Amino acid sequence: MDATFSRLTLIGASAMLLLALVVMWRRHVPAYIAAFRMQSISLAVVGAVVAWMGEVPELFLVAILILALKGWIVPRILTNMEVRRTGDRELHPLVNTEVSLLVSSALAVAAYEISRPLAQVVSLPTRGGLPIALALILVSLFIVVSRRQVIAQIVGFLMLENGVALLALLGAYGVPLVVELGVFLDVLLGVLVMQALVPGVGEASAGPAR
Amino acid sequence: MDSVLIVALLAPPLLAATVALLARGAAGAAAWFNAVTMPCSAGAASVIALRLAAGGAPVAAGAWRLDALSAVLALLVSVVTTLAAWLGPGLDRRGGPSGADVRLYRIYANLFAGTMLIAVSTSNLGVMWVAIEATTVTSALLIPWRRTKAALDASWKYLLIGSVGIALAFAGTVLAFVDYATTGGDLEMALQWTTLRAAAPALHPEVARLAFVFLLVGFGTKAGLAPTHTWLPDAHAEAPAPLSAMMSGVLLAVALYAVARWKAIVDLAIGPAFSDTLLVVVGITTIVIGCTSLLSQTQYKRLLAYSSIEHMGLACFGLALGPAGVFAALLHLAGHALAKSTAFLLSGRVYERYGSGEIGATPGLLATAPGTAVLFAAAVFALAGLPPFSLFLSEILIVQAAWRADHLVLAMLVLVLILMAFASLVTHLQRMLFGEAAPGVPRGERAQVPLVLLALPVLLLVWMGVTPPVLLQTLLTHAAEVVRP
Repeated sequence: MDATFSRLTLIGASAMLLLALVVMWRRHVPAYIAAFRMQSISLAVVGAVVAWMGEVPELFLVAILILALKGWIVPRILTNMEVRRTGDRELHPLVNTEVSLLVSSALAVAAYEISRPLAQVVSLPTRGGLPIALALILVSLFIVVSRRQVIAQIVGFLMLENGVALLALLGAYGVPLVVELGVFLDVLLGVLVMQALVPGVGEASAGPAR
Repeated sequence: MDSVLIVALLAPPLLAATVALLARGAAGAAAWFNAVTMPCSAGAASVIALRLAAGGAPVAAGAWRLDALSAVLALLVSVVTTLAAWLGPGLDRRGGPSGADVRLYRIYANLFAGTMLIAVSTSNLGVMWVAIEATTVTSALLIPWRRTKAALDASWKYLLIGSVGIALAFAGTVLAFVDYATTGGDLEMALQWTTLRAAAPALHPEVARLAFVFLLVGFGTKAGLAPTHTWLPDAHAEAPAPLSAMMSGVLLAVALYAVARWKAIVDLAIGPAFSDTLLVVVGITTIVIGCTSLLSQTQYKRLLAYSSIEHMGLACFGLALGPAGVFAALLHLAGHALAKSTAFLLSGRVYERYGSGEIGATPGLLATAPGTAVLFAAAVFALAGLPPFSLFLSEILIVQAAWRADHLVLAMLVLVLILMAFASLVTHLQRMLFGEAAPGVPRGERAQVPLVLLALPVLLLVWMGVTPPVLLQTLLTHAAEVVRP
């Protein structure tokens, strides 16, 4: 039972990381949005698996909310933004594909290294995925820093949120429900405000690297 | 009694936001409602602060809990918010922004104030994170108030960097939570401050360290600490003056409060050396960046923004210097909140008078608007660390604490940097105060009431600097004990 549980969550977490890596070689915003949608669905599946096999029924609610919010509403908002956008359709990241993949693999290795103490203290069957969650956080951060187009940056930020949610699911079967709901509210409001601000921004000048 | 106080503290801004939301077409009335009810919040915060200064138990009810540290921040937030509500748009009968703009401002500015108060009053560190994240959303919408491209860009930059930073802080929160979960405690209560603090000695050192790094980077981004301070000058310069006052005066302090809360827990797990070292490195870097950027500024609001970076660096440095340093850092945050919000609120009057944000375009302020000029000069002198204002006292205390903590070189460095900041600020100030104003600029003060109101924080700064009230000292001592027992 535990072995299956462990394997299922590991597959889900790996799928999420792979979907973040997809972004590295795609050049169009719809591909970014599609990758994020798939990643959110994977997160919801991981949530459902943890709810069922870890026997935490309230996580079913969280999984449904993830599916509705990040798998459906937020991608729709992002798609609307992309439709309204004018100008060059192709993305020109600051870093090319080869270097992006190289940096991502370096970040994944670093994530394994820094999560070693964490994996040692957690005794849940899901602990195997913890380094992947940390890798997803770091890779998403790299997406935000290395992309110039605003929707691509928003996708990076949302993937970062997914990474933290995954970390909470695998490390402790989710944070307390009140916090979880607050996080959902913040994500929704954040994306709505980003949408309200974007039409005037165009090619963003933001990014912590500048 | 406790629940009454907490309702009186939290309800006014949230109620004012609701009234503004409902009062379509009557924005002026909503603004007046806001201005009249906000002092209730400041009053409740004062009562709470007095009770804790007298050694009372934390004010707690349900999900809320204010200890001395919370009380200091609640007092600062509510006082600065009250000032900003009094001087915000919509109360001036001689024109000003349109009713729709006033309404939008009153909705979001009050939600912003409400989220800050929730962040410092909640007993749950997860809810604290949610509230601080919400401050970004509520304030970002008001930055493009003048609808310029620069303001929109600034707002976007703030929103993106702030959201990403705060997401990293959530990763840190989750790491601490996971660590707590492995100790086998009650998970529903896990993020409660008292529970986590009691369980802190059992946390795993390696994980606690990792969590604190994430938390410092995350909340540090919101506090304007280096190297992720880059959003701050743009956002604070482009926002409408009362919002700049709230963002610079208290939002940065609230973010630093979150760092201090987590430091207290992590210190119990691994001892203070680790967090102190990180805070010293980040603090000193921030001070260097803030001080060295001051001289080259050409706009007065950007000048004030870089001064905020400097002061946050100083407070961050103070947090790392033992109990005396934490005391000094909190006093510094209090002085900075009053002085910086006053300076930003007055910058709005300067902008109204000259129609320009450039330092070079606003000469002769002393002749055209003497009252504004004198108060602005006082606020800038306070920020430059001159006596008799309280920032002088707190800067001396921080340097002294650094000296006692055997950071002799750093103490000297900070002293030199403070002097540099002083010289830069005064140089820019005298260019604004003196000289010949352009012929078209009107002379004489029009509205006197705002000046009387803004004299209050300046007088408070002098009072705190000359004879620090005993109750304030005991309150800050109790608050410092929360961070560094």
